[in-house]
Amino acid sequence: MCFSCQVRVVLKYRHADGTLCMKVTDDAVCLVYRTEQAQDVKKIEKFHSQLMRLMVAKEPRTVAVAEAD
Amino acid sequence: MVLLESEQFLTELTRLFQKCRPLGSVFITLKKYDGRTKPIPRKGSVEGLEPAENKCLLRATDGKKKISTVVSSKEVNKFQMAYSNLLRANMDGLKKRDKKNKNKKAKTAQ
Repeated sequence: MCFSCQVRVVLKYRHADGTLCMKVTDDAVCLVYRTEQAQDVKKIEKFHSQLMRLMVAKEPRTVAVAEAD
Repeated sequence: MVLLESEQFLTELTRLFQKCRPLGSVFITLKKYDGRTKPIPRKGSVEGLEPAENKCLLRATDGKKKISTVVSSKEVNKFQMAYSNLLRANMDGLKKRDKKNKNKKAKTAQ
């Protein structure tokens, strides 16, 4: 049983409303970030790619948290 | 659910974004994938392949059409570049920050 398989990341983009929403959940905890700012797109896209790399990595990796905004 | 190759998935994802531009949402889901192709039986032991540790499942939908692809560590580099470009190019409908908002932010930061 792989518990990390229960974590999913969901992106929801609505061009008509100009909103982008990112949700990360493991069915126990749910974190949601909603934005209408263009400057957040790059950050969310980078974060999404980082999460993808973590999922695909074989050995356990720690993520150094980049500068907080 | 249509399972596609990475390149085709990106093409179809671009189409989804374009289709939903006037109205609608695009949902993208990312999840770790252990390579299983059969459901796990409630009773009994899990037979078959050893779970793979280096794949993830990427799904996209507009509420009606569903597409998906599997990305493994071998393709992740190449896929990620194309995928990032795609997202940045298509998610361009959000508000740019203007002077008014900058002043507001400066005030709230203080």
